[in-house]
This record gives sequence, structure tokens and C-alpha cells, in this order.
Amino acid sequence: MDIRLLHPSDIPHVQHANITNLPEKQVLPMPQNQECYFMKYYLYHALSWPQLSYVAVDVSRPKKTPYDYPRIVGYVLAKMEEDPPDGVQHGHITSLSVMRTHRRLGIAEKLMKQSQRAMVETYGAQYVSLHVRVSNNAALRLYRDTLGFKNENVEAKYYADGEDAYSMKLELGFIREQILDEEEADEDADEGEAVGDVGKAGERAGVNGKEKSKKRKVRVGRGLGVGELVERNESHKS
Amino acid sequence: MPQPLNSKESSLFRTVVRNYEDKQYKKGIKAADQILKKNPKHGDTLAMKALIMNSQGKTEEAFALGKVALQCDMKSHVCWHVYGLLYRAAKNFEEAIKAYKFALKLEPDSSQIQRDLALLQVQMRDYQGYLVSRRQMLTQRSHIRQNWTALAVALHLNGELSEAEGVLTTYEGTLKNPPSKTDFENSEAVMYKNSLIAEQGDTQKALDHLESAAKHNLDRLAVLELRAQYLAQLGQKEEAAKAYRTLIDRNSEYKTYYDGDEFRDAADKYLNRMLDKGVPSTFANLKHLYSNSSKKNILPVIVQQYIDSDKSAANDEPKRNGDTSKGASAAYYFLAQHYNYYLSRDLDAALENIEKAIELEPDSVDFHLTKARIWKHYGNTQKASEIMEQARTLDTRDRHINTKAAKYQLRNDETEAAIKTMGMFTRAETVGGPLADLHDMQCMWFLTEDGQSYARQGKLGLALKRFTSVYNVFDVWQEDQFDFHSFSLRKGQIRAYVDMMRWEDHLRDHPFFSRAALSAVGIYLNIHDKPLSNGTNGIGDANGDDAAERKKAAKKARKEAQKAEREAAAKKNEPNKSTKEGDGEAKKKDDDPDGVKLAATTEPMTDAMKFLAPLLQFSPKSIDAQIAGFEVYIRRKKYLLALKCLLAAAALGKEHPKVHEQIVRFKLAMEKDMESVPPKSLEIIKSEFKLLPESTSLSQFNDEYLKKHQDSVQSTLSALRVRRLLAPDTATRCEKDVAAVIKLPSITFEEAREALELLRSWQSSEAASFKSSAAAKWPKATVFSSLT
Repeated sequence: MDIRLLHPSDIPHVQHANITNLPEKQVLPMPQNQECYFMKYYLYHALSWPQLSYVAVDVSRPKKTPYDYPRIVGYVLAKMEEDPPDGVQHGHITSLSVMRTHRRLGIAEKLMKQSQRAMVETYGAQYVSLHVRVSNNAALRLYRDTLGFKNENVEAKYYADGEDAYSMKLELGFIREQILDEEEADEDADEGEAVGDVGKAGERAGVNGKEKSKKRKVRVGRGLGVGELVERNESHKS
Repeated sequence: MPQPLNSKESSLFRTVVRNYEDKQYKKGIKAADQILKKNPKHGDTLAMKALIMNSQGKTEEAFALGKVALQCDMKSHVCWHVYGLLYRAAKNFEEAIKAYKFALKLEPDSSQIQRDLALLQVQMRDYQGYLVSRRQMLTQRSHIRQNWTALAVALHLNGELSEAEGVLTTYEGTLKNPPSKTDFENSEAVMYKNSLIAEQGDTQKALDHLESAAKHNLDRLAVLELRAQYLAQLGQKEEAAKAYRTLIDRNSEYKTYYDGDEFRDAADKYLNRMLDKGVPSTFANLKHLYSNSSKKNILPVIVQQYIDSDKSAANDEPKRNGDTSKGASAAYYFLAQHYNYYLSRDLDAALENIEKAIELEPDSVDFHLTKARIWKHYGNTQKASEIMEQARTLDTRDRHINTKAAKYQLRNDETEAAIKTMGMFTRAETVGGPLADLHDMQCMWFLTEDGQSYARQGKLGLALKRFTSVYNVFDVWQEDQFDFHSFSLRKGQIRAYVDMMRWEDHLRDHPFFSRAALSAVGIYLNIHDKPLSNGTNGIGDANGDDAAERKKAAKKARKEAQKAEREAAAKKNEPNKSTKEGDGEAKKKDDDPDGVKLAATTEPMTDAMKFLAPLLQFSPKSIDAQIAGFEVYIRRKKYLLALKCLLAAAALGKEHPKVHEQIVRFKLAMEKDMESVPPKSLEIIKSEFKLLPESTSLSQFNDEYLKKHQDSVQSTLSALRVRRLLAPDTATRCEKDVAAVIKLPSITFEEAREALELLRSWQSSEAASFKSSAAAKWPKATVFSSLT
């Protein structure tokens, strides 16, 4: 199985996976309250936030024609909330599904993690939200137990067949920390090589003749589990 | 020049425009009529009225009025602009572009007209025109970054890569301060520029640019992926490997990141773990290894050992931890899938294992699903459908199994049951029921399978109807890109937009299209060869054994059609509460819901072109498309085009049974129809048609082909078809030889069915005995045991 970004050319098969897996029982006319969509809504996602939607591809399928497209067995369709009512940048999972034949392989989790990371990296998302049927135990296990989502509230009769939805949310601060850790490790490694034994900690400015503007990340309250991050520009040697 | 109005009417006219923009159509018409009372020949008002009427769905009246407006005021850019908008709404883009151009000549500074023109040009892939428009738009508003980017995109699409890059660089040069790191538009523009550099083939320059300009880019994944790719392309192996390891750390599930060798072993450990957990999709996750034959052979051995070890578990120390009660059934399930897989198929072994698994877990949806698939591979659509239905009832809330049940019903030609099954998950309130909802949701697989089932049943009208629906969805998909020509520039997501444009360029090479299109062409060929005799829904004789069968089917179809009509009439009289209030854009009523008109065509070969042309344009490497092309063109006596298809097909597979037949048939057609071919064409044909050796006769050619491919059922059938065509007096022997293919070791039940159909089409007395020997050979397949 390949997990990779969704491309526009994947959409017919993503749409196929969607309509094969998800019920279409909503009355509300707005696409965000539906579970199945026509192609343009997928295009809207892929062309607005191309970094956020991922697919799982069955790479074992034999080619039947010279024009075969990759067979999609799972996907996550995600977006950033435009004009968030709470004023906080955040992502939203529009749709996630995995073909029955490929369930319990951890595909959904992997798709979600890629998307969440990109939400932070590219769009500075603070959290990600989603809706899920209250009866969908498999999905609840994934969101709550595996990925750490918390219930925000119950939206009564969200679905047309009368079923309620949980509105769920996951703070993404931990990903931001992870990214900063990696960046720091990276930069240390890079400079270690470039500088060789000449370079010393604290004498990094001006290496290779370049005036480097360096960011240092300072963690505030990490021990308290707050995970707030502050960035300080340290272009002047401290 | 727009005709002048007095001040009161001028303000009324502005109201009309505002009403149109606010979609207050009735008010708009009223205000327009007020102006027209005094100035009945005021072109601009007439044009605006036409535009509003068009929005109300009165297309024809709108066009008529739009023409009147132009006659009144040929020099008004408003009239021409509206005329273009009317054409645009009617999807006649060429005419719309012409009208916009007239409007723009009269009013060169109108950014609105310029914009509408540009959007249509790019939609129509008139890149040179688009380029002119974009240059103009940049000149008018050069302070907006979007306009620079747009010009670069226009150059890019027109193939002028370095010029495109240059435009982006020029814009960068105008920036006084470097944009902030969180400026998304800038971040994307940098990556877009990088893609332009790479596309020009200068990988080193692309790498340098990436490492300098994109170091802190917001699209981090793209930077990492491109860097690894560039390094690999440049042969910097060590650095590339390092870069790919970073990517693997982020996402270990993408083969592209692996250099090929870093592949997982430890199948044993993995399998034990997965089976212990009872994960049903273990096989699905491993089957990609089956292309490697040693891995293919090892996996079932490990699983069998797993099963066997459990049997002696009482004597041994416990090998597995935790709850492994589902391990054994998961293992049997794995083996069932293994023996059902096309690379390791042994259906009896598959059935044996799935029964064992079901014994352990009688309520498993997945096990029943696989059991149904095994029966499908046996050729027993009836049993496959029954078992899939059983699987569905085990979990009625799961749409996936519901979908499968419907698909298997269609494969078994239970079309009515299938739509009922689908209806359990479609939106209840959609007017027109489940079928309408499946159309709305562009459910391609259903439309195609439904059409193919109707085709098998001889209901050619309904079959054509479904395939036409698929065709129409592709039109919608093409139209869907329109809004993104402006939207993507506003969003600043350029690479994704270019990616979409490139895909839309060859949208119809998608198997979703070619499958439906090939089926549709096949039906039109049937209609051409055997014109429909009754007016209901074109009952052909695809499956019928004899005339009585056909009569019965025709009668049944007539009854069904009458029933449907009655039901439709009854529905009409019901007070339809769920219909939305008239919002002016009501759906047009379908005047041919069952495709009766489609099937009643008197020019099936012309109609077939609608499907054939995109097939040949976008899937030229599909041998099936070329073969279909030949069949249509030879019937239309377009010999040059038929030859073109034949040559393309032969280049893809000269030994293909159908190609062999077509070579001979082409030669025969030319001999027979020589006089009707213009001498110039004849000359070309003679110089190009070199597929037949000069010195051999056709029957020799055919005999050699038969000898060469005597082990292949399909080649043998083709050669025998040709032999009977060349020498009708050998008919009896040909029939006997066709019947003898059942003795070929490689024969499948599908091929036997083809042989049976051939015998039937010859009205051969061999058919009956062939059918009974096939029934004996494939006792589980339905095709030979059924009464038809």
C-alpha cells in the first residue's frame, strides 16, 4: 500500500471509494453536511489545499489497460476552515474512508497523521476538527483512542436518518513541537558538517560568508503540558 | 455605441443590471419592460432582458431576443457581451469567444469582457489567445501579483517555459522587501518557479534554487520530495539516500521513497502477528508480493504452518500471546483468498478453506464476501449474487457490502433488485428515486454495470441510456474546471492548478470512460448489423436460443415498458411534496428515460462516433479502441480510417485474434468495393496495407495463423470464423472444429461461452452437444446449465 498525496487525477477513484463506503442520507443541502460529493467538491479541496488530502493506493493491482489509474483503497479529504468563527487557524476533515477489504491495517491512521502534519507545517493549524456518527465505533476508536481527539459536543440529528454526530477536535501543538525538534536536530547536524571543527556553538553567525538569520525556539510551559511555543528572532548573536 | 437614454431611464437600466446580479429576475424584467415601453429598440435593455430570461431557463426566447438586441444596436459592446454569455451558457464556447471578441473590439478597456474572454480561452485550450488576453490584463493592472502569476501560467501552458520563469523573476525583482515567511502566495510562487526550472530539464539549477529559495518553504513535503528526487537524478546517491530516509521517517508507506532493495522480509513474524489479531485484510496487504513467485509460494506455506501449529498447540508451549481465538479463521480466510487470487487460483481449494473459516465464524461479512467472489470466478453469477446478498444481511449498515451485493445482482442481471439494494443508501428525498441520486452523485460504476447488464439482457435502449449518462458525467467533469481558472489564481495554488489542467487535457482516457464507450460502440454495431424490429426497448438476440425466446423477451419488455409508463403516469398525479419550490432552474424533463429513441436510431454508425472519437483520440494505445474503430469505419466504408485503426491495432498486437480477422476482412472489403474508393485513397491503401504477405493467399495466411496459434482458443475461433468466411462450403467442418476447442487444455469457461455463442450465431447443430459438454466440464458455472 502506498500512502501519498492526492492528485486531481485520483479523484474519480476517490469518489468511487467514497460512494462505495459512505452512506448518503443527509437532507441538508450544504456539501459540508453531506457524505458523498460530486467531483467539483473534491477538486475544490485538491486545488485549495493540495497539501492536506492523502490517498492509500493498492499497488498490487495488475494493469488492465495502458491507461490505468492507481486504485484508491482509502483517502482523507481535508481542508482548512475558511474564516474560522473562533478566529483560530484550524483544519477540518471533510471525509475519511477505507475500503472494507483494506480495513484494520492502520491505513486511516496513517492518512490522518500525514494530513495533520501538513495542516501544521503549511497552514499553521492550531487544531483539527471533524464530525462522526455517534454509532460509528470503529471511527470513534480511531479518532479518540488512536489519534487523541476529544469530544467537543453532540450535534443532534446531524444526519438525516436522525442520527447524532459527535463534533470532535484535536489540538495540534504536539506536532508543532515535533517539527521544531526535527528542525533543530537538522540544523545542528547541517552546521556540524559545514562548520567542521572550526565552528563552535555560539559562533555560528557568518558561516560560509552568509549572514544567517537564525530562529531559536523556546518552549514555554512544556512541563505543564501546555506546549505553547514562542518564536524569538535571534539574528543578533546572543 | 450604446444608444442614449434619458436620466430616469439610465437609472432604471442600472436597476436592471443590479436586479440581474442579485438574481431578482422578475423585478429585472419589469424594469426592463418599463424602459422598452418608451424605447422599444433599445439594444442594451433588450440584451439585458434576454440575459435575465436565460437565467430563468427560457433559453430559446433569450437567444431570439439577444439577436433582436444585436439587430437594434450592432455597435453596442453590451449586446455582444450578452450574446457571448448566452452562447457560453449554452456551452457553445467557440461562438461565445467570437462574440466576446466583437464586444472587446468595441470596448477595449472593459476588464469584465476581457476576463470572460480569457477564461473561455483557457477552458478551450486556446493558449495563444489566452496569452494575448493575459498580457493585456497585466498591462491594465500590473500592481497585482496574481496577474504576473497568471501570465506565467499562460506562457507555461503554451510551452514557453523559460519565458514563464522570466515573468516570475521580473516580478520578484519589483519587490522592495522580501515577503514574510508566512506569505502563502509567495511560498507557492517560489515552488511554482522551481517546478518551471525543473521542467526545463536543468536539475542542478532546480536543486540550487530549491536549496536557496525554498529552504523554509511552507510546503515542506514538496521541498523534501523534490530535493530527494533531484539528488537522485543528479546521481548524488549518498545525499539522495539520506533525503529519502528523512521522507521514510515521515511516511514509511510510499514505495517511491525506497531505492528498491530496502524491502521488508520478516513475512513470518508479520503474518503471525496479523493472524493472531485476526486481521481480515492481511492478504490484501500482502498480495503485492505475489509478483515475486518465491514470495508467492512461501506465504501460503507459512499460513498453513500457522494452522498446523495450532492443532498441536496442546502439546507445545503456547506460541502466541493474548486472545488468538480468531487466528485460525483468519488463517483459513487468508488461504481462501490466496487460492482465489488470479496468480495462484485453485477455486476448489479456495472454497474448501472459506467453508472452514465460515464454520468458525458464521457471521463474518468478509468471509461471505470472499465466498461470493469464489463463486463469481466459477462462473456462477446466480450463486455469487445469492451469497453476496447473504453477506449484506449480516451487516445492513455497511455501504461497502451493500454496494457489492448490488454489483453482484447486476452481474446476474437482476437489475430491479440491484437498484432496490442501492436505494437503501441513497438519499431518500431525491426526486426520481435512487437512480436519480446515483446520477447526481456521478456513481460511475453503477451506471456502467447497469448498462452492461441491460446490454446482456438485450435491452439496448436502456443500456445506451446508461452509457450516455457516463458520457455526460465526463462532460460535467470537463466543465467543472472552468471556475478554477480564476479561483486557483485567487488562491495562489498554481502547481495544483497546472496539475489539474494537465489531467483534464486527457480526462477521457480514464477507464471509467473507455469501458462505457466501448460498450456503447458495441451496441451501435449490433443495431447496425441487426436493425431492431420492435418499438419497445430493442430486444436483440444476444442470449436468445431461438425465435420463440426472442418473442417472449420482446413481449416481456413491452409489458415492462407499459408498466413503467403506468407507474410514471401515476407518480405524476401524486402531489409531490418533496419537490423543491420552483427556483427558476428546475431540471428539464427527460423525454427519453428508457433510451427508446436512442436505440431506434436509423444511423447507428453516426451515433457511435460520439463515443468512438474520444476513444481514438485519448486512448490510441488501447487495442480494443482501435478494433472498435475498425468495425465502425469499415461499415461506414471509410476505408482509409479503417486502415488507420487496423495499422494501429496491428502495431499493438499483430497476433491478436480480432486483428487477424480484421486484416482478412479488410482485404476482402477492398476487393469487393474497389470501384467506390477514390483512386488517390486506393493508392495510399495499397502502399500502406502491408499486413498480408504478397505471395500467400488469404486461406494460406489463415491456415498458417491457425497452425501457429492452435493452442489458443480465441485465436482458433478467429481463424475458424475467417475460414468459414473465405470458404462457406467448409461450414460443417468449421463447426466441428469450433466444438473441438473444448478439448484445448487452456480453455476457460468464458472462452467456451464465446465458442458457444459463435456456434449459435451460425445456427449450428453442434451447439446443443457443445453446451452439454461445457456444462459437464464446468458444473458450477451458470452459463451452460441455464435454460437459455
